[in-house]
Amino acid sequence: MTARVLRRVAIFVVSVLAASIVVFLFMAVLPGDPAQVALGVNATPELLAKTRAEFGIDRPLVTQYFDWIGGVLHGDFGRSYVTREAIGPQLLDRLGVTLWLVGAGMLVALVIAVPAGTFAAVKHRKAVGAGVSGLSQIGVAIPAFLAGIILVQIFAVQLRWLPSGGWTPPDQDFGEFARGLVLPALSLGLVQGAVLTRYVRSAVLDTLGQDYLRTARSKGLRPGQALVRHGLRNASVPVVTVLGLQLATLLIGAVVVERVFVLPGLGSMLLDAVSARDLLTVQGIVLVLVAGVLLVNFVVDVLYTVLDPRLRGS
Amino acid sequence: MRNLVLGSVLVGLVVVAALLSFAWTPFDPVKVDATHRLLGFGASHWFGTDKFGRDLLSQIMVGARTTLYVGVVAVGIAAVIGTPLGVLAGMAPRWLGEFVMRVNDLVLAFPALLLAIMFGAVFGADTLTAMVAIGIATIPSFARIARSGTLQVMSTEFVLAARAGGRSRLTIAVRHVLPNISGLLIVQASVSFAIAVLAEAALSFLGFGTRPPTPSWGRMLQESQELLTVNPRLALVPGIAIAVAVLGFNLLGDGLRDRLDPRLAARV
Amino acid sequence: MKARITACTAALLLVVSGCSAGSSASVSAGPDTLSVGFTAEPANFDFTRTDGAAIPQALLYNVYEGLVRLDAQGRVVPLLAQSWTVSPDRRTYDFRLRQGVKFSNGAPFTAEDVKFSLMRVKTNWTISLKSTMDVVDHVDVVAPDHARVVLSKPSNGWLFSLTSRLGAMFSPTGVADLANKPVGTGPYVVAARKRGDSVVLKANPAYWGRKPAYSTVVLKYIKDPTALNNALFSNGIDVISAVTAPDSVPQFQADDRFQVVQGTTNSEVTLAMNNKRAPLNDVRVRQALTYAIDRKALLDTAWAGRGTLIGSMVPPTDPWYEDLANAYPFDPAKAKALLSEAHAANLNLRLRIPNLPYAVSAAQVVQSQLADVGVRTTIEPLDFPAVWLKQVFTDHDYDLSIIQHVEARDITTFGKPKYYWGYDSKRVQQLLAEADSGTPEQQVAAMKQVARQLSADAAADWLFLFPNVIVAKTKVGGFVPNQVSESFDLTGLAPR
Repeated sequence: MTARVLRRVAIFVVSVLAASIVVFLFMAVLPGDPAQVALGVNATPELLAKTRAEFGIDRPLVTQYFDWIGGVLHGDFGRSYVTREAIGPQLLDRLGVTLWLVGAGMLVALVIAVPAGTFAAVKHRKAVGAGVSGLSQIGVAIPAFLAGIILVQIFAVQLRWLPSGGWTPPDQDFGEFARGLVLPALSLGLVQGAVLTRYVRSAVLDTLGQDYLRTARSKGLRPGQALVRHGLRNASVPVVTVLGLQLATLLIGAVVVERVFVLPGLGSMLLDAVSARDLLTVQGIVLVLVAGVLLVNFVVDVLYTVLDPRLRGS
Repeated sequence: MRNLVLGSVLVGLVVVAALLSFAWTPFDPVKVDATHRLLGFGASHWFGTDKFGRDLLSQIMVGARTTLYVGVVAVGIAAVIGTPLGVLAGMAPRWLGEFVMRVNDLVLAFPALLLAIMFGAVFGADTLTAMVAIGIATIPSFARIARSGTLQVMSTEFVLAARAGGRSRLTIAVRHVLPNISGLLIVQASVSFAIAVLAEAALSFLGFGTRPPTPSWGRMLQESQELLTVNPRLALVPGIAIAVAVLGFNLLGDGLRDRLDPRLAARV
Repeated sequence: MKARITACTAALLLVVSGCSAGSSASVSAGPDTLSVGFTAEPANFDFTRTDGAAIPQALLYNVYEGLVRLDAQGRVVPLLAQSWTVSPDRRTYDFRLRQGVKFSNGAPFTAEDVKFSLMRVKTNWTISLKSTMDVVDHVDVVAPDHARVVLSKPSNGWLFSLTSRLGAMFSPTGVADLANKPVGTGPYVVAARKRGDSVVLKANPAYWGRKPAYSTVVLKYIKDPTALNNALFSNGIDVISAVTAPDSVPQFQADDRFQVVQGTTNSEVTLAMNNKRAPLNDVRVRQALTYAIDRKALLDTAWAGRGTLIGSMVPPTDPWYEDLANAYPFDPAKAKALLSEAHAANLNLRLRIPNLPYAVSAAQVVQSQLADVGVRTTIEPLDFPAVWLKQVFTDHDYDLSIIQHVEARDITTFGKPKYYWGYDSKRVQQLLAEADSGTPEQQVAAMKQVARQLSADAAADWLFLFPNVIVAKTKVGGFVPNQVSESFDLTGLAPR
């Protein structure tokens, strides 16, 4: 098993490096001169040349890449061409916001999906079960940003119960922080919850068909009891896998939800950096997002290796 | 069965609206008319008009075109590239298959939205960059499905027999593998279509998708925002259109899966 | 194994959230705190090298002050200068400085700083406006409270430009990190910033003048106009500095928690036409397009009827304003006639616009109306500022564009043949030069002729003058309807 995990680690590291090359090359072909963007339209050719040298963008691409990736490995993402600030601390700051949002969204999704999916599976022959399945189908079909817009209209603009957006750091005022997180987390989590409900349902259905549950039921346990005592742990293995994939989806879905709720996370940082052609910042954010997705996939892979008894043996 | 029928009806609705819009729309969808702005539901403008006085129904119909266009091209790209890769990975020597799948995982790490934003930054965002990005991001799911299907088919007896009979790999792939995994691929196409519709809407909402004035459901939603409190109709109409399309393709996918996978169908 | 992975993940989460907590801007809501919402966030605090309206909007008059400023009526009045005199040849300006003024880093403000700041524009600034300062020949420090500026030629525009960011006073001890640490003499200092969210201004305890009513002002940056509205509705902010979702204004008017203040700005929403490039180098084609566009309908649909029709590059607050809005009444038949006279059939023009709400809205109306006279257009939204500035503004790669020209008295740009208008009229250049060097009366007369000439040449189509729409809670007072300067002036705001 150790060999397997080590192999996974190697694959993960190589993938991240490959991704960094892709991201770097992508940014290198972007039209627009960062020095011109930074200095505005009135810059003299001498000043432009000086600034290009200052940014280091007059050097060969290979040198630039190794310089950049070397810095990144030490947590130094360079200095923004536009704001002249170090990108690393900024990234970490924004990543914190996004992770809170993704975490809370995941929580909402789980709180919805596990009971709803189990219920739909147990009652799959009854109308209520089909009703839950139907609702989850509709939930999947509603874009997260639309859910967000509707939630803001109802709970912020009309009822004024919750803020319409904005961010309060948790250490500053936890109550305000939590209130501000409710609507974004709901709009992100509702849709993912609907997706997850369908997986939970089919996983539980699979488990319900297994022999040991039939045995348990033949001993007089009701389906629900049998499931809780014996089935849920088994059903959780495929769900954990899906959860991993969903975490990646949430990370990207956060980009849109952050825009609706004006949250200063990675997504809004990315959109702002793109429209300001702040290339080094875009490069850093994309790398972090892609590495994040790869990391999640890696963790899921390893968990799978650890959890699945068949693989454990090999 | 129920899924299949309902899914087909909803998808059919979108397709008919799109096809009809080539021949006829109630009004010119991009014609600005200051005297008829922000009309509600009514007899002449069924779904009302937007702040430019443009007919909402006409925009929804032409918007259906945009939606299907993006879906078809994106899923097409993904299927045409992803399927051969997956079949290759399933039939090739182990190391090559493994390599293809690792590259596949790498592409998977660039989600559609991220790719589309990056493409938009390089080439200027429009419908084309959006659908190519969505297409590329969808390749891995096709490759995965195709590979696992291929592995199953390759272990069946008739394929083993064909291999023993000296048939070339290409012949086996075309004669045996593709026909047998086509059901899986059709289901995947339907589900990917739904995801593509959502992705296009999100991108147009962010301003990285279809350019004005070409009607797009996502952009209609984005334009509706400032009027949401006084005119929720403007968000409701495109919102429902998106939901109908996504629901339709998802149900269609589910229905087809039930049809093509008797094991599942028998149980559910 | 499993436990170890979980612990690692948890540690990662802790590190990240810990960091996010550390750098937050602290905002305490109280009666002397005001929260003002803006759409455009400053990229940094250095307006000497970063173009755009966002930085001076936040900092001018609030953090930085100049020798003079604009009052609510658009007149030039003293600020750090107590008074000034102009020599008969209109080339020498003697400024008497206010005494006891200190920069926020403690350095005293003297005539040396005037010399330093004005001369620094030529050497260190890079923004497009800086050329107005080229006319400064030298600055003499006559006494610590007496600076003498000598111009190479008379210029009315120069004194006016001192009221903008170009006149901001810096201390040699305070320019080390302009992008992050602004040092000025104003009533506020920058206390904190959370990028992507807000800038916090606190009252400057050592300010020379009257203390501002609000000791803390939070400038909240919310890019999306609807989200900005929602923030006011749900109590997240007290003031919307400028509403850019005009169809939402009636909601606020109907609600007695809010007040709506509307006036004019200096910001002409302009359909720029590339005067250098065929077919728009033909005046008849430009006139045809101007006849073809129903500006009243455009204003009504794209901007909910809020704004002013102007007809030339002059807002009503300028002394040489004349109503030229009806110079080209909406007349599609005449447009078609002019087009065929110019043999300009089957035109297909590229309308390359910044991807900003007003431009995207207006472009769709322009496209629809031009289609009615047989002129096809392709709308290309470009990322703003970066791509639009590069391709349209710098490289002149466009046929038509729509952009707000926000700077005061930017009519003078028509005197620069290399500006992206591509407009090259010797008569206009000469008139502008006369206006700049003449007496105030001569200036007004010459500028009127410039405005008329631009209209006659259809040098551009001035779609409408952007309205200044402020929405605020009723408890906040002191707003000025007309926005005449570059600054969102916080100093006059007070509780009612």
